Amino acid sequence: MSKPLEVALLSAPMSERGPWFSTLRLTRRFAIYAISIFMIFGPLSSLLLWSVAEKWFWPNPFPTQWGFKYWQQAFEGKMLSSLGLSFGIAIVVSIICLVITVPLAYVIARNRIPLKHIVLLIFLLPQAFPQLPVFSNVMVLMYRWDLVGTLTGLILIHLVGALVFSLWTLVSVFQSIAEPLEEASYMLGGSRIYTFFHVVLPIALPGIIASTLLVFLYSLDEFTGSLLIGAPYHITMPVFMYNAAGGYEMQVASVTSVLLMIPGILLLFLLQKYMRSEYLAAFGRV
Amino acid sequence: MRRINAFSLTLKQQLAGAAIAAPALAIVTLLFVYPFLRSLQSSFRSQEGVWTLDNYSEALSIYGGDYLYTLWICGVSLVALIIITAIIGGLLRLGVYPLLEFIFKIPLFVPFVVVGHAMRVFLAPHGTLNSALSITGMFNPDILPSFAFSSLGLVAALVWKNLGIGLLLMLGAFRSVNESMLEAARGMGAGKMKLIWHFLVPMNKGSVGVMAVLTFTSMLGSFSIPAMIGNAGGSQMIMMDLYHQIVYQQNYGVANAIGVLTYIASLGAAIYYLKGVTKK
Repeated sequence: MSKPLEVALLSAPMSERGPWFSTLRLTRRFAIYAISIFMIFGPLSSLLLWSVAEKWFWPNPFPTQWGFKYWQQAFEGKMLSSLGLSFGIAIVVSIICLVITVPLAYVIARNRIPLKHIVLLIFLLPQAFPQLPVFSNVMVLMYRWDLVGTLTGLILIHLVGALVFSLWTLVSVFQSIAEPLEEASYMLGGSRIYTFFHVVLPIALPGIIASTLLVFLYSLDEFTGSLLIGAPYHITMPVFMYNAAGGYEMQVASVTSVLLMIPGILLLFLLQKYMRSEYLAAFGRV
Repeated sequence: MRRINAFSLTLKQQLAGAAIAAPALAIVTLLFVYPFLRSLQSSFRSQEGVWTLDNYSEALSIYGGDYLYTLWICGVSLVALIIITAIIGGLLRLGVYPLLEFIFKIPLFVPFVVVGHAMRVFLAPHGTLNSALSITGMFNPDILPSFAFSSLGLVAALVWKNLGIGLLLMLGAFRSVNESMLEAARGMGAGKMKLIWHFLVPMNKGSVGVMAVLTFTSMLGSFSIPAMIGNAGGSQMIMMDLYHQIVYQQNYGVANAIGVLTYIASLGAAIYYLKGVTKK
């Protein structure tokens, strides 16, 4: 927001309308914050409360007995293997995405690919249509290929969404890099490969890191494909949580959701400056 | 500046480009495009392999109500989302509210399944919201309504999850509005709400439309939120019916017919994407 406007906003009307007006303004500001905080943190804090509630009798406003019993229980039981599985898969998926989509996004951004429109169209479809109806047909195919219930199948199904998402964010990263920089490198005798690694990649690095972390989060949170392809042999965290909540194990499900939330919130805090809105815009659609 | 376009690519460059694209294309084609086409084909086939429209008539007669219910829920959620994000986006554009933008970015980073569960815990009959209300002493805790497992619970969860993305798109559009225009309107005595609804929103009709199409599709295709919130009998979201047909009935014809119906409802987004591509 520009400075003169701020000054105009804060000084002129208030002096004209007297002190009661500024009290009103403060109250309104307070109300806006209170409502926003309640809207966003209300549901989230419920999860935290439930995760440390050993006993909670209605209608007590707070848990009757507090404790970390369910946290301990969660870490001793099957949840730990689901946690390990989810993180393992997310890391593998992020690395594969990085290797496959960074060069592809670059050639697309620089128009160095034949039939670019058709290629882009193929990568549009998974963004534009619901996943479940398609993934249920993938399940049929994967039964035929003996991939259901295997780690390979699980990684492949995560890759479908992750690749598309990663490609879209990376194309916008590379498009934001000025082409004349590369032209200069060519003029000075740099080869395409040299230019890519020594000119383009260093500039694109923050965007690539942001995109990889978002892919990591996508894979960590993937539910539909994991439920159809992985379960019941390989249970990822979201599926574990779904099962726990289905069995009315409120506390276990809440512990799991708190754990699932932590990576995202951490990234949000740590990467504020890297998270440009065009990357996030692609993220929210998945 | 020397521009390299697709027509002047040498054969070597074309081969290199194709080789780079091959792995990603193979995965997405084999595991999305091909099954997508198969679902279209299978929706027109009976279990004996005869071409027929029976799957559609069966899907519509059993799940027609749920289909309309799903569109209704997504529509209501969309309207609520537009109202909330326009107000918040407008406030952020017109005034200084530190932290507000950050707070509303949080839903973007909270997984869908977690949102479903959180809303369930928050809105259940003996949930946190009702507990909090009963602390105030203004309500009798035993007659407070349950919002979870109901349409309202679904709407709340769908809106909540999309607050982040909605605000991001809305704010991006609002920030591109010319400052002097707003100052002129303010000089005429327009309040903040008037500025939002009479200036910011109408001036960004296109961007608001894009945001609406994108979030509508995402809400329609959302499976984990209805799966977590469930329902208390009565209508349910169409994705739950589809899942039921596959896992319990193993009737792929009807399931795929439901799938195609949801593709049709998502066509808005597809058309928008296509327009974007052809423009480039």
